[in-house]
Amino acid sequence: MAAGWAEKDDQELLALIQEGSHQAFAELVQRHTRRFYRLAFHYVQNRDTAEDLIQDAFLRLWENPANWQPERNSKFTTWFYRIVVNLCLDWQKKKRPVALDEEMPLMDERETADEAIMRIQEQRLLEKEIAALPERQRTALNLCFDEELSNQEAAEAMGVNLKALQSLIMRAKTTLKQRMKVYL
Amino acid sequence: MSDKQDDKLDAMLRSRRLEGASPDLAQRIILRAQSLPQNRRISPWQWIRQLFAEFHLPKPAYVVASALVLGIIVGASTPDTTVPRDEEPASVQSFLYADEIPL
Repeated sequence: MAAGWAEKDDQELLALIQEGSHQAFAELVQRHTRRFYRLAFHYVQNRDTAEDLIQDAFLRLWENPANWQPERNSKFTTWFYRIVVNLCLDWQKKKRPVALDEEMPLMDERETADEAIMRIQEQRLLEKEIAALPERQRTALNLCFDEELSNQEAAEAMGVNLKALQSLIMRAKTTLKQRMKVYL
Repeated sequence: MSDKQDDKLDAMLRSRRLEGASPDLAQRIILRAQSLPQNRRISPWQWIRQLFAEFHLPKPAYVVASALVLGIIVGASTPDTTVPRDEEPASVQSFLYADEIPL
């Protein structure tokens, strides 16, 4: 029976969710939680907050399943990325500036203490500079460097064409290159 | 030099810090949803769309052709009771002239 749920595509699961199926909802959540969490984490830089935002996004879908309209929304993931991005941006507007966690990742065994400190500083600065980018450039960057999303899907999620997306990425990278000169 | 910078920046963007999610995150969401009712309220526009969807014919040409064939079959197999029989005019006449005294 479990195999049956795994074989269903997202659209089929959503149709069942609209009929009130908890099993279909469970399958959809298990299938996509990690990828949306990753996106949310890149925005908020905090595990608990990212988890809360993802939970909120999925529960909104459960409570209002009619918001998903297959004839209007091309693909579930593209549509849901937009929802998650909007929730993250709303959160950031309320909580600005983004507070970076003091707890940075532990040292890699292969690197020296100096290398580790350097890498941590580099990562901190990168996150700080990404957080300071204009909203659309930041969203383009977060979506494009997500390995599970093609550039075309990222453009659809943002509601722009591919060229506009590439232009946003280019501007974001130019700004980051200037601001991170010391580390590049 | 610029290419090197681009590559380095791309590498940094690909290896951004990511703290893994709790292993039970999905389960927590699923359990939470079980205690929440679904909001089935729909807008008037959605209601109209659903109403029209009820009458939507997936393959109209096939439906019309099937209905036509079915109609012909039913029509051909039903006994013909609409054409008046010979006795009927007589019975109507006897009804019309029922008051007349037979000679």
